[in-house]
Amino acid sequence: MAQHILNAVALGSVYLVFALGMALAWSTIGILNFAHGATFMFSAFTAHVITQQVALPMPAVVLIAVAAGALIATLTQVLAFGPIMRRATEHRAAELRILIGGIGVAAIPLAIAERVTASAPFGFRGSTYQAQVFEVFGLRMTTTVLVIVVAGIGIGVGVWRWLATSRQGLALRAIGVDSETASLMGVDRATLALGTMATSGALAGLAGALLTFQLGAIAPASGDQLLIKAFAIVVLGGLGSMGGVIVGAFVLAGAETFVLAMNQGTWVDAVSFGLIFLVLLLRPQGLFGRKEVRRT
Amino acid sequence: MTSSALAGAGAGDGRDAEAATSVLRADDVAVHFGGVKAVDGVSIVLTPGRLFGILGPNGSGKSTLLAALTRLVPLTRGRLEFEGRRYDRVRPHTIAARGVARTFQTVRILPGRTVFDNVALGAESAGSGSKAERGRARERVRRAIERTGLSGKERHRPDELSYGHQRRVEIARAIASEPTLLLLDEPTAGMNRQERDDITGLLADLRAEGLTQLLIEHDVQMMVDACDHLFAMNFGALIAEGEPEAVVRHPAVQEAYLGTQGRAHA
Amino acid sequence: MIDWYFSHIVLIQSTFTTLLLALSVQVPLRAGVFSFAGVGCYGIGGYLAAIGMVHYGLSTATAILLAAVAGGAVAYALGLLIQRLTGLYLAMATVAFTLIISVLVVNGGDLTGGASGLFGALGMLDTGHLLAVVVVVVAALTFTELGPLGRRIEAVREDPELASAMGIDVARYRRATFAVSGMLGGLSGSMTVLLRSTVTPDDINFHLVVLALTIIIVGGSRSWIGALIGTVIFVWMPEVLAFVGEWEDVVYGVLVAAAAVYLPGGVTGAAVDGYRKYRRKRREAAASPPDAPPPQQAAAAVGGDS
Repeated sequence: MAQHILNAVALGSVYLVFALGMALAWSTIGILNFAHGATFMFSAFTAHVITQQVALPMPAVVLIAVAAGALIATLTQVLAFGPIMRRATEHRAAELRILIGGIGVAAIPLAIAERVTASAPFGFRGSTYQAQVFEVFGLRMTTTVLVIVVAGIGIGVGVWRWLATSRQGLALRAIGVDSETASLMGVDRATLALGTMATSGALAGLAGALLTFQLGAIAPASGDQLLIKAFAIVVLGGLGSMGGVIVGAFVLAGAETFVLAMNQGTWVDAVSFGLIFLVLLLRPQGLFGRKEVRRT
Repeated sequence: MTSSALAGAGAGDGRDAEAATSVLRADDVAVHFGGVKAVDGVSIVLTPGRLFGILGPNGSGKSTLLAALTRLVPLTRGRLEFEGRRYDRVRPHTIAARGVARTFQTVRILPGRTVFDNVALGAESAGSGSKAERGRARERVRRAIERTGLSGKERHRPDELSYGHQRRVEIARAIASEPTLLLLDEPTAGMNRQERDDITGLLADLRAEGLTQLLIEHDVQMMVDACDHLFAMNFGALIAEGEPEAVVRHPAVQEAYLGTQGRAHA
Repeated sequence: MIDWYFSHIVLIQSTFTTLLLALSVQVPLRAGVFSFAGVGCYGIGGYLAAIGMVHYGLSTATAILLAAVAGGAVAYALGLLIQRLTGLYLAMATVAFTLIISVLVVNGGDLTGGASGLFGALGMLDTGHLLAVVVVVVAALTFTELGPLGRRIEAVREDPELASAMGIDVARYRRATFAVSGMLGGLSGSMTVLLRSTVTPDDINFHLVVLALTIIIVGGSRSWIGALIGTVIFVWMPEVLAFVGEWEDVVYGVLVAAAAVYLPGGVTGAAVDGYRKYRRKRREAAASPPDAPPPQQAAAAVGGDS
């Protein structure tokens, strides 16, 4: 039982880092980035390619993935989302085009990684990192799990508090609530959007490195699955609530681990899909969301 | 002909004499958005064939009242009746199909469609799909376009029109449905003097034909000239109604428009 | 010609079935409903047709009919359930619906063949049948694009509030698009499966959603012509441009992203805009200033130039 809980916490930590990046861009600058999953995957893939050439320690691998994620997201913003936001006249049209642009962008790194790896899973074999196994209160722990949980919860709470209390966080939230007022407050939307996307990408890269260390290897297509799961998490927690993302990530991980523990492995994916569906049906604003989720 | 006249007579000597003589009746209508009381307890009666106007400063609740009368916003409380039938529970398309047409404060026309198509949208919703009906709809469109001074621009698209002409498309679309009641939300906003006179002339013609109208405008002089009966609103409530000159001179209206200076002056 | 036809028969047939799939997403989108339920119904239709033929010995026509009707009914019910959702939320709820279908069929036991799917559902279908279905569908859709109905659907998409002020029952139009989308998805799925004779859970995936959306966005979302152009581009491009074959998905990705940024109306939207600009120029030339030639001559001159 306790072992399952530990697994759920580790899985939830990775979900949290990934979903936090997605929620950050979506709830503040209004970008639901469909390339977030591809960013996650390609950051880990970049680190994988580099570790095949140079034997690097864990922190260096993580750093490479984080930098790659930030770079990919920045490029996505500069080449696709930025131009769309400048050209679109109204928000609804922009939203749809950003979604489609993200889908297009996502196809590119996915195709490259699938071609190079022939769609086989890849990992960090070239890294010097060796996971240490130890026991705490009869639980089997690895150093990887420890790193993931500490990083996940630390960053989750950090981003949540930063957004809630800091000056930049306030400016970001102001844009999310009312972009017109925010621009009157002297917030430069384009710069802020770029910074937010870079941060969001860095979180995707971090999640990519952590999950690859945890599982040993990830498949190129895993980004798409994670994207849907992150959507479920954000919807469950409520768009605009970072605390909600934290709760959502661990609820989803717990539910999935439970389904696995019941030996119903083929139903695991149904958890996130069903969750999206049920939450949108019964409580579209999520558990902690603002009331004004768009409904007609 | 005779049967409808008989039916009318039958309804006339029914219990509710006033329902038969009013086109629209709103009782104690309130629309609250959270804590904001955009409209709060407004009662109005519109009698057939007259041109009614609503005066009031920005944010006094005029447009929200119009949205409530056309069921585009839900009522917090109150009761609505159109031609003696209660309609405060029906969905908005129903009341539009019964003969209430409206224009919007901002131009809302289909950007990719020609003037003809946009006006036809109003004319067709009233009819069925039969060939004769389609012919009549085309005729209504043609006439609405002519009356709003858009002749020759049938094939133009909205981005090829001046702002004043875009507003005319709004009005043409509303009258093309040949409504029983026409609600106009600032139809002459952004128009020049000449265009304004054209539109007020059109509204006077429609009134002469017996169409009931409710008009929102800012130009007090124009409202006094055009309307038979004025309602004045402020802070979501009705502050005066009656003969246009009397309403404009009413102290509460003076204050709403001119502030305390107005009161000192009076 | 005959040789060409037989060597390309798979591509020709998949052009028709892919077109139907793309239309199942385009029909709701044209009414402003961002729903991917049609893709889920593609899965439902494919599995129903295969189950009908393998387990119950249905005829090809019955199986396809069943798939179309069931797809329409399921999508209509879904539409009722989630009719209050709009925009991204509606899109994601319908994506979730589609992916749930694939989880359900994995767990369907003998009925659906579990993870390995169903085999031996080869229908009696030829290109002529496909063409006939597509022609009927396209004719019906053309009717919804022209005249009063086309205008009303456009009003529902562009400005739902205005549409209801015009007496249009917006909710009814939205529900109808769900039903039509489900029928088209069911048709596409059942015919695809009966041509291939197999269906597996992997056939219903997120990639299919992306493909349908891609076709419409690149081709154009306002008319079936756009869906047809998009379908032809994406079904035939790897065949025509061999070098694209290697980097097929990269090219798709770049095209979709570029279309999202630069061609919001797709190829057909850009063509229509270009044509209108040309017409307007002609008209302006016709309504010429005094020192220019008289209108008829000016129009004739422009006409002659082109």
